[in-house]
Amino acid sequence: MRTATLQKNDLDRVIDLLSQADYRVIAPQNQPRLDGPDSIDVAVFKEIQSGDSHNIGEGLSTTGIKPFLFPKDEPLFAYENRGKKVVLTEVSLDFPKTVILGVRPCDVASVSSLDAVFSDKNAGFNDELFTKRLEKTTFVSYSCTEPDVSCFCTSVGLAPDSDKGSDLHMTELPDGTLHVEVKTKAGEKIAAVIDALLSGDGDAVARQQAGVAAAEKITRLRDSAPILPWLQDLGNFGDEMWQRLGEKCLGCGACTFECPTCHCFDIVDENSGNKGYRVKFWDSCQFDHFTLHASGHNTRNSQFERYRNRFNCKFKIYEDVFGEKGCVGCGRCIRGCPVNLDITEYMAEVAHKAAIPNAMSADPDFE
Amino acid sequence: MPNIYQPNLMTIKKVINETPDTKTFHLVFQDEELQENFEFETGQFGEYSCFGAGESTFCIASSPTRKGHIECCFRKTGKVTNALFELSEGDTIGFRGPFGNTFPIEEWEGKNVIFVGGGIALPPLRSVIWNLLDLRDKYKDISIVYGARSVADLVYKQEIAEWEARDDVNMVKTVDPGGETDDWDGYVGFVPHILENDFKPDPENTVVVVCGPPIMIKFTFEALERLGFKQDQLITTLENRMKCGLGKCGRCNIGSTYVCIDGPVFKAAEIDLLPPEY
Ligand code: SF4
Ligand code: SF4
Ligand code: SF4
Ligand code: FES
Repeated sequence: MRTATLQKNDLDRVIDLLSQADYRVIAPQNQPRLDGPDSIDVAVFKEIQSGDSHNIGEGLSTTGIKPFLFPKDEPLFAYENRGKKVVLTEVSLDFPKTVILGVRPCDVASVSSLDAVFSDKNAGFNDELFTKRLEKTTFVSYSCTEPDVSCFCTSVGLAPDSDKGSDLHMTELPDGTLHVEVKTKAGEKIAAVIDALLSGDGDAVARQQAGVAAAEKITRLRDSAPILPWLQDLGNFGDEMWQRLGEKCLGCGACTFECPTCHCFDIVDENSGNKGYRVKFWDSCQFDHFTLHASGHNTRNSQFERYRNRFNCKFKIYEDVFGEKGCVGCGRCIRGCPVNLDITEYMAEVAHKAAIPNAMSADPDFE
Repeated sequence: MPNIYQPNLMTIKKVINETPDTKTFHLVFQDEELQENFEFETGQFGEYSCFGAGESTFCIASSPTRKGHIECCFRKTGKVTNALFELSEGDTIGFRGPFGNTFPIEEWEGKNVIFVGGGIALPPLRSVIWNLLDLRDKYKDISIVYGARSVADLVYKQEIAEWEARDDVNMVKTVDPGGETDDWDGYVGFVPHILENDFKPDPENTVVVVCGPPIMIKFTFEALERLGFKQDQLITTLENRMKCGLGKCGRCNIGSTYVCIDGPVFKAAEIDLLPPEY
């Protein structure tokens, strides 16, 4: 498929052209974290209008793109109690044509993990609130050149320049230009819209080198694949490491809410008078009530068991059920954890227990 | 088409007060075509909702051989079940389902079948008991061992009497020590104990279906294994907390097994391969 060069300062024009072509454009933008003068700006994906400033290619967003496919809370239908009768009203499944611009490789790869759960590939049940949004969404991804200290995409089969799940992929080259690669039909449509800004067929060699240079900056565990057999051995479910490493976890759920692949939710009625909405909203396996039975029995009764579930969800359950990893190595759960619980520490510990040579990080902190 | 989370509406045709805190509903779909065509198999469950309170998971307690309505039986233990408890005949509830796998009743043909249930765990057994009784010729001896904390906690009292009266059913009932009344004519003792020491079933050509709280399942399986039963003769249903029933909300998993789509019916041998999170 087509490759080309785009000037970085033409990204504003890209936003203009896409907006004119009736796309809702989502892009990372700076937003103050707190109110008041001491606040620092953080990057957040938001809808952007022509002329708004963006920070595509600058740093990492605190929250990913998950809310645009699987919102934090959303109504499933409306109900109205009328005496003995109930009237239900469907919610619209007509979602706007959307392009998410400047999404990082880990985040765009995470869409496949969500799709594995919500699409009919999973037990034949199609959650159209997700799949219909996905059908309407095009992903324009952007390689990382400056991975953060918490990033470990290279441990989960990805890389700072990978294009898995992308429709149109951009890589910033040392000369400041962008190497553009069209990946899918949806990406071709985007390329057609911004055609006037594209020139030549890019510089594949420089793009390759940029990817290698970025990957070299990642210092964490090399490859998580060999830890799977150890996790699949039921005898290791009771291993002492789970309690030892998991004891400090507070059960706050920050790791799951910031995680691009976490998909767990609750279903609750938001009632007002005789009517309301049944609402699906994010939940977390880190919360103590998550698995609490009506009888009072809790299948994951202590916090370390809940974190053991989270780790297994990412590196074993996803592999067993969907044949892929549930973690894209974005590092958000590491950055966001108030007690510095580090998922790669678990990975390194398992690698150590399983005596996997060379699986450990070069970073002495993780030996 | 509504999305997969939107329930179908059902009318409560009949309410049976089983115990002071347990009720049975007889339910029919308000959509006539669905009422006509609805099918399920024994062992499956549904998500039942009271609009304004939310959804709760119960098995379908009636047998697929009995058409015309489905039944659910629940104890009031939380927000949703409390709200459902307040409903009466003619009221509307929501239903999503049927979900989950089924009891492998074809595999049991030509065998003796023993049902062992504790407390409120009789409803899943009731569905499969009536299913087998409606196909009575296909099975050899059918026995039901049912226990509750006290006489007042026994559900389906009328049906227990019906089963006792039949000469093709062996009905064994028990209540926990201290739960008996003066006129109690059953055993007094915990289910696994009565099973092992009084009922003493012969493992030859027999399957046992056990439903109850996790601790009861564990002790019952152990008692049966001491009597010589092999793991592939033992079957149960698990009741992890559920919300979606669709394998999506993520809370019912036991390791890589999702009770809502891979279960709720499991063989003892399958349970042995699961981490102890049930
Ligand atoms: S588990 Fe952590 S590193 Fe992996 S995808 Fe989720 S937030 Fe990112
Ligand atoms: S880690 Fe926990 S919250 Fe996240 S998807 Fe897995 S079970 Fe759900
Ligand atoms: S691991 Fe950290 S972020 Fe996650 S629940 Fe525990 S304390 Fe919170
Ligand atoms: S009940 Fe939601 S995943 Fe099983």
